[in-house]
Amino acid sequence: MSEFLNLLAAGLTSGAIYGIFGACLAVWFRVCNVLNLAVGDFAMLGAIGTARLVQTDHLPFAAGVVVVLAAVGLIAWIFDRVVLHIAFDRGLGAHGIVGVFFYTFGLSLILEGAARAVFGTDVYSAPAIWPGPALAIGDVHVQRAGVLVIALAIASGLILWAYLRFTVSGRAASACGESVLGSRIVGIDSAMFRRRIFIMTAALAALFGVVESPLTGFTYLSGPTISLIGVVAAGFAAFRKPGRAVLAGLAIGVTEAMLGGYVSTTYNDVLLYAILFGIIILRPEVLGLGAEPA
Amino acid sequence: MPPGGAALEVDSVSVSYGKFVAVESVTFSVRAGECVAVIGPNGHGKSSLVTAVAGLVRRGGTVRVFGQALPVGNPRAAVLAGLVLVPERRHLYPELTTRDNIMLGSYSRTRRLRASQAWDDVSGVIDMFPELGRLLEQKAGTLSGGQQQMVALARAMAAAPRILLLDEPCLGLAEAVARRVYDWLGEMTATDMTILLVEENPAHAILVADRVVRMYKGLVGGPEVTSP
Repeated sequence: MSEFLNLLAAGLTSGAIYGIFGACLAVWFRVCNVLNLAVGDFAMLGAIGTARLVQTDHLPFAAGVVVVLAAVGLIAWIFDRVVLHIAFDRGLGAHGIVGVFFYTFGLSLILEGAARAVFGTDVYSAPAIWPGPALAIGDVHVQRAGVLVIALAIASGLILWAYLRFTVSGRAASACGESVLGSRIVGIDSAMFRRRIFIMTAALAALFGVVESPLTGFTYLSGPTISLIGVVAAGFAAFRKPGRAVLAGLAIGVTEAMLGGYVSTTYNDVLLYAILFGIIILRPEVLGLGAEPA
Repeated sequence: MPPGGAALEVDSVSVSYGKFVAVESVTFSVRAGECVAVIGPNGHGKSSLVTAVAGLVRRGGTVRVFGQALPVGNPRAAVLAGLVLVPERRHLYPELTTRDNIMLGSYSRTRRLRASQAWDDVSGVIDMFPELGRLLEQKAGTLSGGQQQMVALARAMAAAPRILLLDEPCLGLAEAVARRVYDWLGEMTATDMTILLVEENPAHAILVADRVVRMYKGLVGGPEVTSP
């Protein structure tokens, strides 16, 4: 029983990491139909930036986090103004599949290169927000950072779900992704929603990087891997439902942990993608991917 | 604004897409409470004209709503001034419910935080389209073309317009549904609503319009037709 509970705790921790990045991807895709493939790089900047400011430059931890979040928000704002605004609002850039992937993929490469130039190839961990030994409940052991990771993921998923479901602003944000022209007709500023949610999810990813980094450590190369697991979690939520992305991430994490513990870690990825394909083919409505309306 | 004064003034409005001039220096006005139809063949600038008036595409010239000049390329300013467009092909939000589609019509003027409160403020528009009452929780993308057109009209009315721009409101609709739309338009013309109607079919337009303006190759031309 204790083995099962320890696997469950480990699965929930890794699943929360999947889920939060899936939620960041899903909420922004819902607003502008673009995948943020730089979300993992924002997390990397959050973790490494805070570690450098606190451990090397001796800034107080809270000040380091604030500076890094502000810097990440500024990078996101500049990227929106310089690239996304020109591509989508002025209609000058390529659209379609190129727009969905390419712009943020390019940003990911730029951030990766800049991080290597500034921070080098070392592994960094930001200081723990809740320092101390692992929490023990009977035979079950959970890292304190893991508890924070799960709590932040669940809180973020709930807040984003409530925002989209219950507020006028959330409905307007969803309308932007459904029809840009339709949203502009009623006075919704789709560019403003795209920009604000991009900056918000970039800052959230950076904060999550700070919280997560004592568990995993970060290098300049960590971003793409994180973005990829975010895409998988968001895929389980039809790229549109951040609350469901968190739940999907937690389910993936637990499934992975159980498969690793009771079967073999060798086939984790194969089984996960087999489940995803199976759902897409046999029960697409589970993912909100039903047949096109007439 | 005295009764019968100009509600909408379109002064030397031009629209270009690259080197192609879609609308060339068009000038006309619509009096308060009047219904004016813009007719003409397909592809001669009628839709470009109304989308430019609504602030959705960049234009030259001036548009005034009840004497107030609208900024270029700012649809929110147009909505706040009371000018609301029902576009060709409707442009609803297919994954949102009928209720949300209509509620968002009030986006520019609502001060509400919660969607349910914003809906309460505009739910009265359903009285004009009772057939939508049982479809409020249905996704707009799953409605029939006629039902979607009703949602588009209800969304516009939720914005509390003083001037309605309607771009081909019956395009692609069955004749019975088109009649329903024109019955509703007829009711609107009996109110103090100012209406600018773009219609390819003059037979439809003459049913409700006080005046007809012809558009040909991006220009307003020919004698104006006044309905009997």
